[in-house]
This record gives sequence, structure tokens and C-alpha cells, in this order.
Amino acid sequence: MLRTVKPRNARSKRALEAREAKEVEDVRTAIFVKGTHTGEIVNGVMKELMALKRPDAISFSKKNAIHPFEDASSLEFWAGKNDASMFLMGQSTKKRPAGLIIARTFDSRLLDMCELGVDKFVSMAEFKTPKSTPGHKPMMHFASELFDTHPRFIQVKSLLMDFFNGEVIESICLPGLEHVISVSIASAPSLQIANPILGDSQEEDVQNLPKIHIRTYTVKLLPSGTRVPRVELTEMGPFLDLSLRRHQAADPEMWKAAMRRPKLKKQDLEKGLGKKKKNMEVDEMGDLRGRVHIAKQDLDKLQTRKMKGLKSTLVEEDGRSEDSEQEDDPRQKKRKRD
Amino acid sequence: MDVSNILASHAAKFQSVTVEKETPLDVDTGLLTVTDLTPIDEDSYKSNLEEYLQITARDGIQALVAALYGLPTQPSPDGPLAQLPAPTTQLPRAKPLPKLKPPTKWERFAAAKGIQKRVREKKVWDEERQEWVNRWGKDGKNKEKEEQWIHEVKADAPVDHDPVKAARDARTSRVAKNERQRLQNNARAQTAAGDREERKKDIERTLATTRISTASMGRFDNKLDGEKKLRGVKRKFEAAETSVEQEKQASLAVLSKLDGDVKRARKEKGAGDDVLNVRKAIRNVSKGKGGVALAREANRKGAKSKRGGKR
Repeated sequence: MLRTVKPRNARSKRALEAREAKEVEDVRTAIFVKGTHTGEIVNGVMKELMALKRPDAISFSKKNAIHPFEDASSLEFWAGKNDASMFLMGQSTKKRPAGLIIARTFDSRLLDMCELGVDKFVSMAEFKTPKSTPGHKPMMHFASELFDTHPRFIQVKSLLMDFFNGEVIESICLPGLEHVISVSIASAPSLQIANPILGDSQEEDVQNLPKIHIRTYTVKLLPSGTRVPRVELTEMGPFLDLSLRRHQAADPEMWKAAMRRPKLKKQDLEKGLGKKKKNMEVDEMGDLRGRVHIAKQDLDKLQTRKMKGLKSTLVEEDGRSEDSEQEDDPRQKKRKRD
Repeated sequence: MDVSNILASHAAKFQSVTVEKETPLDVDTGLLTVTDLTPIDEDSYKSNLEEYLQITARDGIQALVAALYGLPTQPSPDGPLAQLPAPTTQLPRAKPLPKLKPPTKWERFAAAKGIQKRVREKKVWDEERQEWVNRWGKDGKNKEKEEQWIHEVKADAPVDHDPVKAARDARTSRVAKNERQRLQNNARAQTAAGDREERKKDIERTLATTRISTASMGRFDNKLDGEKKLRGVKRKFEAAETSVEQEKQASLAVLSKLDGDVKRARKEKGAGDDVLNVRKAIRNVSKGKGGVALAREANRKGAKSKRGGKR
């Protein structure tokens, strides 16, 4: 555990405050780490993914003898030290050649991990096309029904979205949309939906899982005669073909804590972001207006102006028609009072 | 008048911007993400992979761009800013939700009275100097009284009255009061957070140390009402007779503490002369230049003396 630092001046205090938990979080900073050995392919992949992730990326230049699936304490230490919450680790071994591990942390503790093997890698430099500006947000495209059904691919989608695009923003400059990261899944001949009893962490299952294609394109927006422009894509690179390997799912307790959302503010509720309140709306002036529904009015019971003459005749008529003693008694009392 | 021809020719000039899919695309504009849940087309996948991937990506992105251009926008110097809705995809947080700070005593009072918080400006206008000066801190306005060169003293003021000291004391006592209130607020927040027992122990410990902090160790102090007798830690004695097994274990524990194998090895490896702190000695002899400089100097001296000998 890192020692807790008490700020000694205003500057370090501000720096510490910037690291504190926020309601709306900043983008996840990723640390790029190399394992004991990385081949040419892994080096290239990490370099190009770093180019896409910049400026929210930290590169570790030295080799590290770490095995996150056995012991993740180093990752947790780095996460706390660098205020980073994502990791991309590259390692190439004889058993698992050209491997990438994407890991993310929650509260400086490891949340979940997924290992991907690089089967094919085409570098950015091989396409002589314009590249995107560093720091611009990409648009993401996922194509397969497995991203909605298979737990392994749901995790991969969540990790990739967090890696490239996890930040919640209020607005985006439309001409600033420059590139697309497209993630698709190959066709799988014999893919059953994971057996919940056997679990999907078995090695045989991993062999059967289809490949993932990651493609990066730049966007060209052409006039279409309407407000919405026509989209054309140009290859940008890197192109990656990945296969799934080991993974570690999130601990349910920790996942629950990580998915906790802040309470919506009153203003947001009125805007209709939260649970919608019926019959309430905010008008253009910012005033809250409501509609009230009431039952239909019974006009027979409406109290009009009281007049002595009218009242006595009415009561007498009633008494005659119903001929009940109960009606008679109040009348007698009234007379006595009069 | 029939305009269908004109419309058709106009449409032919531009390519379509509509996307038709069997299953509707899942567009999350908040995170600029689109998910296409259509199963892949095996034939075109196998015949031309790259082209197929690009076409599906184009269709998806076209739908996303259409959704983005449909959002309300605000003009900006770089182009229109689309106001994004909250994302529909839930991603895990990187840090836990921030905890609400418990309100301070003043904040609670202000809330009850309906007092609005207003931000005081850090600088105030100085009429004499005709410039903006700090309200507090360096050359602060609050030190004005104690720094002025002449003071007005009442006629009936005592002889030893020092107006500078009085002003300074008033200011420092305000600062001290604020600090005291801050600590009280912290303590209150701590008790509200639930560690009441810890706080109680803390107070008792502080009280115990203050009671024996006088020259007489608290012997001649006035006792307050309800003050309990100070109790120390009671000594505990082992039973005089224990079983053989227990006695053996206790003795062995003492022995192992005295001379554990591991510890002995470590001591030998360290081979440190406990009496002499080598590092400190080197620093002292070399006058802070370090061991290398010392060795170099020694060599040079040796050479000099040799030369001297020859002469």
C-alpha cells in the first residue's frame, strides 16, 4: 500500500485533490507495460495502440517480470502510483506467443483482465493515407450479436470501450470526429453459448471462440443534400486480428461497487434524465409546470347561495317523499331553535 | 406540375444516407458507440474479408453520424457542438463514488437559517495606497493595525499598554479560534462517520497524558467533579505452576528469540562493526567528498611523498 501523503503546500494539495474520486470521472489513463520478452509484433501493436490512446497513456520503457494472472500486485502498485486505471501489457512467450493483456482497476485494485493473442498485425505505416489527430475521440463500431450474448465478448467490448472511449462528455465538436475503431467477430462454425455449469474458462472453449477483427478507419463526411452527411471510410491502420486467451472476470462484490451510480440531481430529474415524473414539465422560462387531475364535479351537491325560503321548502318536499322519522327529527329541532 | 423527375435527378447526385438492417442498430450516442447485432454474412465474409468489414463499419457509422447530427447543437468557433445525452452503456467506475463531507457546524446553522453562501473576494481595495491588497496573508489588510507607525491610545490606558501587541493578539486569537473550530468539526465528522469508540479512546488517552504532565505528575492538581482515578495497565503474572508442556514451550520461545538461526545468519552476513558507522566515518574523514575522492587523495599523497623521497 502506498503511504498516505499529507500535502505540505498548496500545489501538492491541488495535485492530490485532482486524484481524488469524482462524481463524473476523467478518462482512464492507460499504462503500457512490457513483459520479460516482447517480439517485434507486440512492440508494434503497443506502439500503435499508444498512438491511438494518446495523450492519456503512460509508457513504461523497461521490461518487467510480471505475470498478472498469477500476481497482480505490481499492476495495483503502478495504478496507485501513476493514477492510472487501465493497463495494456505485452508479452511474448513460447507457450503464448504475441500476447496482449488488457486489465483495468477499480480503486487501485485489479477489476478484470483479458488476454488476447495477436494473429495478424498491419501497421499504420503500411497505409499511405491520412491519419487522425492525436487526442481526438474515436467513434466505435461493434459488429456481432455475440457482443450482447457471450460473456467473454461482453467483457471484451466493455474493456475496449473503456480503453478508447470510456469518458462521459457533455458535448462533442462534430467536425472533430475523425476516425473509427471497428471491432467485429469472425464467423464461428461451432460456437455454443457458454455453458454456465462448465464455465467458459476452459482451454478447449477458448480454442473454439472466433477471432476478433479490429480495424481503424478515418471518416470522410460528404454532402448528401440533407442535414446528415454521407459517411465514407478510408483505411488508417492499425489492423489487428486477435484471438481470445485467458481471462479473469470481475469479482461480483467489486463489480457491484464499481457500477454504483451517483444519485441524479434534482435538475436532471426535471430534465427527464432520471425516472420520469408524470404531469410535470419545465417550460421554456425554466418554470416547473404541472397538470392536476381531479374527479368530475358533482353539480347536484354544489352549495349555492343559502336562502331560508328555498331551504325549508326543499326539506319539506324531501320529508314527504321519503316519509322517514330520521328526516323529521332535525326539522323539529330546527323549529325549536327558531 | 410534376417535380418527381427533378427530385429523382437531385437524389441521383448524392448517395443515400439511410441504413437498412434486419435488426435495428444499437446506437449509444453518449459514448459515440454503435453496436450492430446482425449475424455476419458468411459468404461475403469468406470471399472478401476487408471489404466486408469496411462496408459493415460504414453502415454502422452512418447510423451513428445520423444520430449525432440529429442532436441539438450549439455553435462554437470550431464548428457545431452536439449536446450528447447520458450514455446507455454502463461502464465500471475507476474509483469509488466520492463520499459526502458531513456539514460543519456553521453550514448546518446557515442551512437552518437560510443563509446563502457568498464568496468573499481575496483582495480588498486600500484607499491609502490606492491599490488592491490581500485580505489576509502577505501584506494582508488584516495586519494593517499592527503595522501602522503611529497608534491612537486612550488617555486612561495603562502604562504598559502596547497597542501593537493588543492588535496582534486579537488577530492571532481569531486564527486560533478558527483552528479550534476546524478541529472540532473534524472530530464531529469522525464521530458521525461511526468510529465513536475510537474517538472516545483517543480522548481518554489525551486526558490521561495531560493529567500526569505536571511537574508533580498530577499529584497536587485540583480534582474536578466526576474525575475518575487514573488507572494504569494492570500487571499480569503467570501462574506459579504450569504443565510441563507449557513451561517447555515458553522456555523454547525465549531461546529462539535470543538466538534464532536466521537472525544469527543475518548478523554474520551483515558483518557490520556495530561500534563504527563506516559510512559516517568515511564522510567525516573525506569531509563529505566520499570514499572515491578519499582514495584518490591518498594515492596522490603517496606519489608526492615518494617523489619527495627521491629528491
